[in-house]
Parts: sequence; structure tokens; C-alpha cells
Amino acid sequence: MLWLCLHLPHLAIELRQPAPEGFAAITDRHGARRVLIACNESARAQGVFKNLDATVALAREPQLQLIERSRSAETQALKALAGWAGQFSSQVSFDAARWLLWLEIGASIRYFGGLQTLRSQIAEGIALLGYTANIGIATTLEAAALLAVNDQPMAIVSQPMLAQAIGALPLDTLALGPKAHSALQASGLRSIGEVLALPAAALSRRFGLEATDYLQRLLGRQPDIRAPFRSPARYRRMFEFTQSVATVEGLLFALRRMLHEFQGFLRGRDTAIQTLQLSLCHRDAAGTQLQLHTSTPQRDAVRLFALLREKLERTVLPEAVTQMVLAAQQFVPLGYTQADLFDDAPQHDAGWADLLDKLRARLGENCVRYLGLADDHRPEKAWCVQNSGVATQLPQDFPDRPLWILEPRLIQKLPQLLGTPERIEAGWWNHEDSCRDYYLARTAEGARWWLYREAATQQWFLQGLWA
Amino acid sequence: MTVYLYSLLNLPTLPGMPHTHAAIADEALLSLLQNSTQVWRGTHCARIKTCASGYAPLDAALPGGGWPVGALIELLPACEGIGELRLSLPALKTLSDANRQIVFVRPPHTPYPPALLRAQLSLQHIVWISADSDEDARWAAEQTLRAGAAGAVLLWSDSGDDRHLRRLQLAAETGQTLAFLYRTPSARRQPSPAALRLRLRPAADGVRLEILKARGGHTAVVQIPFS
Repeated sequence: MLWLCLHLPHLAIELRQPAPEGFAAITDRHGARRVLIACNESARAQGVFKNLDATVALAREPQLQLIERSRSAETQALKALAGWAGQFSSQVSFDAARWLLWLEIGASIRYFGGLQTLRSQIAEGIALLGYTANIGIATTLEAAALLAVNDQPMAIVSQPMLAQAIGALPLDTLALGPKAHSALQASGLRSIGEVLALPAAALSRRFGLEATDYLQRLLGRQPDIRAPFRSPARYRRMFEFTQSVATVEGLLFALRRMLHEFQGFLRGRDTAIQTLQLSLCHRDAAGTQLQLHTSTPQRDAVRLFALLREKLERTVLPEAVTQMVLAAQQFVPLGYTQADLFDDAPQHDAGWADLLDKLRARLGENCVRYLGLADDHRPEKAWCVQNSGVATQLPQDFPDRPLWILEPRLIQKLPQLLGTPERIEAGWWNHEDSCRDYYLARTAEGARWWLYREAATQQWFLQGLWA
Repeated sequence: MTVYLYSLLNLPTLPGMPHTHAAIADEALLSLLQNSTQVWRGTHCARIKTCASGYAPLDAALPGGGWPVGALIELLPACEGIGELRLSLPALKTLSDANRQIVFVRPPHTPYPPALLRAQLSLQHIVWISADSDEDARWAAEQTLRAGAAGAVLLWSDSGDDRHLRRLQLAAETGQTLAFLYRTPSARRQPSPAALRLRLRPAADGVRLEILKARGGHTAVVQIPFS
């Protein structure tokens, strides 16, 4: 087993999208104290850092915006990341309290073309999602976490190297409780190497069983069993905005991240979607629902983003958005259309399908129409609109017809009639009896019209133009 | 030895290169071109990619012998119902036969399927894009032209804005698509970036075409009989 651990030191602040402007920090309550747990870059530049007391931080930077921690948002973010990580590893687990995510990479190194390639792919992927992450690689989960927390680029790929490699790292980065840490401090130990040199029995006597257990797992002397993250059968990613977002532009940052996470999830399952739901929740108004259908299975985040963006820009938000949910229920293999069993429409090339998706996203699902014939003698009922094009043959000896068909409109002044009429009688079987004489006519302007006279009323109607 | 020079002369000045140097380089190239017999100069005969209109008198009058592909063709019929759509049908049939899509963007009326079939177009290749506004229609046409995924785009638009027409012209160029734009006859007086502009008037047994503008060609009047 080889573990790659991602430590996200600024998770609590980076998960906020759109990113808070100015100086911002996330705080957590420690009893009566408020302590900073993450700060944005501009705040860090002002000498405000993690673990600082909120009052001290405010003294250093009075403009600092303090945001209360949301543990559920952190868990949501890590769950989404675990889903995203499925594209690199089949065994993923996370620790929401410590902002850690582990991927078992021993099985996937060869597939991705070596450790360095895989590592840089993961690093690029996480950067694209907008997170800062440090990577640690080791043979045990806790050793990988220790390297990640200390931002140590070396990879510990064999067990015997382990104790020596981590020996020089600072003691306070060990994942031990505050009690054990103060006991270690009090005993005069300064580095991990010194602690590891102590006999196990003495350790557990002095620092408690928990500490010994952790050190055993760290060194791989005891198995470290975690519940692996299972990717859900349906995809649902909820995103809560710290401050409600009133404009579509404000939603796009979060949406882009969500779709990149979703792309990773789809890659991990080697699947794609044709239908995607985006729900926007408001404080009072009913939620806004957007549904995206694509003509071919998709999983490309950039493409899905472009389509949803088009849809969003055409949507009127009744109120500011407090929450956004991306959901997908049905998954289809990439490269096959959902309804291709009885669909004899030609297989369009990718460019054509993308174009149609783009048009539908902005102009509405029904903006793309194909035409077909219907089995009826009445000209206005002899055609129909279809969702896909179907090869059609016209019956033999079908008379000439105008290129534009119009809703019949009554005309008062009759233009010059040409030729002999064509009689069309139909509808007698369902009491819509009609008997018409169709003429070709020529107007004073030179336009050619298709007219008919209703036999019953002797009224004249215009129904077509020889365009 | 064969040397192919296409647009080397139009290369932008390299950053950091003084203009005078660039001019000297240009001159050197020009003299090289003029003195060498083995150099074919692409600027001499800029070929226009065309698609036969299917009407011999029109093809004869159009530069390149047909509808220009990848350029905006503006049709200005005097009124509706004078064969303004029929004019494009033979070219559309060629595209339909080649399994290319033909996209009608916001036509003023419903294209009648029996008539399309009689013109031997395949209904699989006729796509009708509906749009609520002229702006949406122009956008859809532009996207379709630019993607180059369709064989032809027919757009009906009232916009006389030069920028809108330029965008369409550019999109047609990018996607190398046949692009017909139908406009009202009054648009004749406005300048247009379209490569080809035709005024259509009814004739006894066909349509009279007045070529108002043809890039790389001449103005002319052509009579097209419809059988």
C-alpha cells in the first residue's frame, strides 16, 4: 500500500466561493476564545495567521472580516473532493476534522505512468479546483499525513525508511491530543525521532494508550483501518453561500468548481451524463430549477460549464441565491447516446452535437426542430415538427406545394388566379368536413400565393407562399 | 527547387524589430519574388471557394462560378413569395446530398415539408431553429456558422447594424459555411460587409436578380426562369 495524502491548510476559507474580498479569516470557538483557523492570502500578508486569537488578529488588521466556521460545509467540500479523487484511486478516505484526504496510489501508479506524473496530475487537478494543497506520500496513512502537514516533498515508498525519514520532523505536527502534546513537551523530548526511540511500554505508560496506538499506526506496526469513501449511486453536491449571491456572475465561481469536481467523479466511475439538474435556493422565493440535457453523453467540465452558464444567463433570479445544488441521477457510458436502439437519425459528428447543446442551452430545449410529414390530406395537417430528423419519402405524384405554409388567413381582395384548381376534401370522418379548391395566384406585386376557396362558405383564404 | 510563399509579406513586424528593418526585409522579399521564376505568388489569383447555384446564368455572373462559401450572401427580395427561397434550393440540395445540415434560423413562415421533399432535400438535414428575438436569431446563426458543423445557414434578420453583419460575415468565414441572409428591400441603401448582395424582383416566369455587389466580380442583372 502506498498512500498519497492531501492536506488542505486553508480549506475553511478556500471553500468559500465567491472568495471573500479584502481581509478575511475563519474562526472557531475554543471555550470563550475565538481562534482563527484559516485566513485568506491578503490577511496572511498582514501578519494574520492560523491559531491566532481573534482579538489579537483584529488588533493587527482592523479591517479583518471574521467568518464563523461551518463544519458541515467543510465535510461537504471534502466529500466532493473524495468523489473527485475517485478518478485517481479506487480507495479514498478523508478526515474532515483535520482537512486531510488520502488516496491509495500503489495500484494506480503504473496506470498513470509513474509516481511523479500521478503526483503532478493530482496537484494540477486540486489547483484547478481552487484549493491549496500539500502532498505527502508514504506507506502508512498517518506518515503520509505527517509529510503533507509538514509539506515534505519526499516520498517514503518503503517501510524500513519510514522511522528515519520522519525522525527529524517537529514534534508538534504529530496528530496527538493536546494532553499528550503537553506531556511530550514537559518530558523534554524535542523531535519525533526521540519519541520513536522510546520503548512502547514506557510510551503508553507516560502518554496514554491513544498515543501509542497512533505511533504504531504511524510506523505501520499496526494496521490502520479506515472506512473507505464510497461514491454514491446518485450525485448531489450542495453548496452554501456565506452571503447570498444576487448575480449570476457570483454563482459562476462555485459552479465551475462544482463541475470540475463532478468531472473527476464521472471519470472515476468511467461514466458520463446526459441530464443534469442545478437547483438554486432562495430565502423566501421558490427555488429556481435548471435542467440541462445534452444530445450526447458528456463529462467535460469546461463544456458543461459553458452550457450551464448560457442557461443561467438567461434565467431571471427572483431573489438572491443562498444555496446551490448540482445533482445527477442517471449515468450513461461515454460515447453512446441514450436512445440509440430505435433511433435511426444519423450519428452527427461531435461539433454538430455540441452546437445543438449550445443553442438549446440559450434558446430553450425546443428551439431545434426537424420537420416531418403527417398522414393527412389537409395541407395544414400534412406536416409535423419532430425532435430528430427522420428520412421521409414523399408519395409518388405528389402535387406541387409552396415553400412557406401559413395559418390560413381570410383575404378580401382576390389576386389574379392562374391555372386549374386542385380539390382537396378531407375531415369528413371526424366532423371536420372541409372541401376546398386550391389555386395558384399572382398578386399585383408579382408574388405567387397559394389560395383556396372553402366550398361551403365561398370564402377565400391564403395558405402558402411560393417563396 | 520550389518555394511556397503565401502571406509572408503580410507578417506583422516582430517585436523589437525597428520598422525600417522590417521595410528592408519586405523589399528584399519583394525583389526575391519578382526576380525568381520559380515562385508562385498566391496573391495573383485568389480563388474563391464556391458552391454552384444550379442556375447557369447566375453561376456565369458570379465570381468563382457560384455562391461564395464562407462569406455572407445577402438576398433582398422585393416582397415575399417571388422565389427568394427557391433560388437557394439547388445549392441546398447539393449539400443535403452530401449529408450536410441546412439550418433555417427564425424563418418568417413554416418551411413546408412536402415542398422541401419535392425539391429533393432530405428532411433529416433540414433544421429549423426558432428564436424569440432578432438578437437570439443572429446569435444562433453566428454560432452555427462559426462551428462549421452545418453546410448552410439561412437567416432572416431585420438588423441593419453594420457590426451585426460583420460578425456574421466573420463567422461564415471562420466556419467556411454557406450563409444566406434575407433582408428587407429597403436595406439596399445601407452599406453592407456582405461579399455578395442580390436584389430580387419578380419576373414573368421566374426571378430577376440584380447583383448589387460581388466581391471579386461585377454588378450585373440576371434573369432566372423557374420551370
